[in-house]
Amino acid sequence: MFFLRVCLMSFRSLFVHPLRTILATLGVIFGVAAVVAAMAILEGMSSRILGGFESLGSNKIFVMPNIERRSGRMVGSFDSLDLDDADAIGRCNAVARAMPQISNPGALVKFRSKSTNADVSGVTEVHADMNNQEMQDGEFISAANVQGSASVVVLGSKIKEELFGGRPAIDEKIKITGIRGSRTFTVIGVFAPKGNVGRSDADRQICVPITTAMDKLYGTDSVHVILAEARSPTDADIDQAKEEIAQTLRRRHKIRAGQQDDFQVQSQKDMVTQFSQVTGILKVVFYSIAGISLFVGGIGIMNIMLVAVTERTREIGVRMAMGAQRSDVLKQFLIEASVVSFFGGTIGVIVGWGLANAIETVTRLFETTTTMTSVVIALTMATTTGVISGIYPAWKASRLDPVEALRYE
Amino acid sequence: MSLIQLDKLMKHYPMGDTMVRALDGVDLSIKSGEFVSITGHSGSGKSTLMHLLGCLDRPTSGRYMLDGQLVSHLSDRSLAQVRNRKIGFVFQTFNLIQRTSAIDNVAVPLFYGRQSNVGEKSRKALERVGLGPRATHKPSELSGGERQRVAIARAIVNEPKIILADEPTGNLDTRTGKQIMDIFHELHRAGVTVILVTHEMDVAVQAERVIRMRDGNIIDDRRVDDSTRSELLSGVMLPAVEQDPGPDRSPPPIAKPVGM
Repeated sequence: MFFLRVCLMSFRSLFVHPLRTILATLGVIFGVAAVVAAMAILEGMSSRILGGFESLGSNKIFVMPNIERRSGRMVGSFDSLDLDDADAIGRCNAVARAMPQISNPGALVKFRSKSTNADVSGVTEVHADMNNQEMQDGEFISAANVQGSASVVVLGSKIKEELFGGRPAIDEKIKITGIRGSRTFTVIGVFAPKGNVGRSDADRQICVPITTAMDKLYGTDSVHVILAEARSPTDADIDQAKEEIAQTLRRRHKIRAGQQDDFQVQSQKDMVTQFSQVTGILKVVFYSIAGISLFVGGIGIMNIMLVAVTERTREIGVRMAMGAQRSDVLKQFLIEASVVSFFGGTIGVIVGWGLANAIETVTRLFETTTTMTSVVIALTMATTTGVISGIYPAWKASRLDPVEALRYE
Repeated sequence: MSLIQLDKLMKHYPMGDTMVRALDGVDLSIKSGEFVSITGHSGSGKSTLMHLLGCLDRPTSGRYMLDGQLVSHLSDRSLAQVRNRKIGFVFQTFNLIQRTSAIDNVAVPLFYGRQSNVGEKSRKALERVGLGPRATHKPSELSGGERQRVAIARAIVNEPKIILADEPTGNLDTRTGKQIMDIFHELHRAGVTVILVTHEMDVAVQAERVIRMRDGNIIDDRRVDDSTRSELLSGVMLPAVEQDPGPDRSPPPIAKPVGM
């Protein structure tokens, strides 16, 4: 009852000087807004990227050339994997199937006068099935296309839309520009819209046979990545497949024990773990920024509370004359400080939520998600700030001498 | 038995290099239900006496028995309880909390006494001073007399034994001041002990007993009847002091105490 009445009283006193309250709580407002907005963005990014990983299927294993930076120098090479490595991995017992791939983001594609940028992927016939990509029209690249280095292409739905609009694309000729110049390809299929796979937009992808891509577009003997599938998504099967792939490649690349591998093998789970580490670090960074902001906010609140104590010295004297205990006065100012910062926190939540939505609307990159957890954390931080910064002013108020306080002009 | 019993009460405090003897061994007894005025010039010690009587401060030495309890050396916590339960304060400048309504102001002592039925009790106290219809008004929306009546309602809401009023009419015009004094008379008739601190003799003589102070001592203490009233008002008892009533910061001239 006492607590509720003090809360109500403190809440009313916020509106005696509304501008002063807003200014004093600015730090808390920014701190909380930063937490809520940053968390909403991070959450949105995470669920989009993790969702993309999941759509790949959880038994995926990625084999990539191993490139590291050691004291500023690149170690390893980009061209340590080739088509034969992919075949060898495909023959491993623990591997269901494997596919080499090369990809080139942002290649120029043209149909008559229209042109756009597409992510060109050189793939084999299993690509559509491995990535769960449905065909909307025509058919996917065949084994014969791959063997014969056929100049055929399958378009992502957005690319088809941009080049052809509503007209059919099958059997039309488009031009793709690679390192070896511009080549003409025949459209044999169009993917159904899919959304994101991994970190890229599947609908902006165009697929050509990997042999064609290597010979005619990019003039290379190496592949960028070999995508393999373990027999099942269980940890045991994935680990076994990873081990077998590593051994196969070491043998093929003649890497002795103790030597550095020129490739790396990562399961989808490894990549999710890595990503979680990154977002974890980002969270710490965001919370630190918010912490600094709240610290500054706390000083603001301490300041306004000290002013309030001085301003209300006489009132404190009157309350003491009426029988207020020192502890009552202490509680009253502590509660008031927390109510002020809780109020600031609430405004901060609204501002942060608005900010996240504004970023979502402007960038259209991802959906932001304001979670209850981030709101609760932010408000708890704000209220704690209030209590801590209220301690000194409240203590000062409670130590006033009633006679002196009553005399205060 | 006395409600208030002071024995050799002293209050000394340092001011710069010197020690100010604000109260210099005061003996005083006030019975339950009395209406007493304490009067004297600035610096006479009447404010200090009021603070001690009101349990807002502790004496340097001496004993203060209030309602059978020795309160002169209680802890801050117990003093706050005594103030809450036994004493109602009325101040010259009303000292209402500006942000809250009349009824919420009246409720303050109940609130610190952790009492129930707060609304009901506060409303009754306001009705008792004739301000029932003004309960929801803020102090800034009330006249001076009305504000002082809210303050009196606040002082009586806990049904204290003593009302301590410090210059309650000092900020009011004569007519409003009279209305406020009428409320004190009413409370007195109802059995409340009223102690009025004032430097205005015409206010002081409305009590049944007038105590005059100077230099930290009681110099005169008498019942008020028709003859003493005119003596007090005309100042014949202490001509040098009483010729010029009102706040006067010059040191009072030496005069022999009378009637002690």
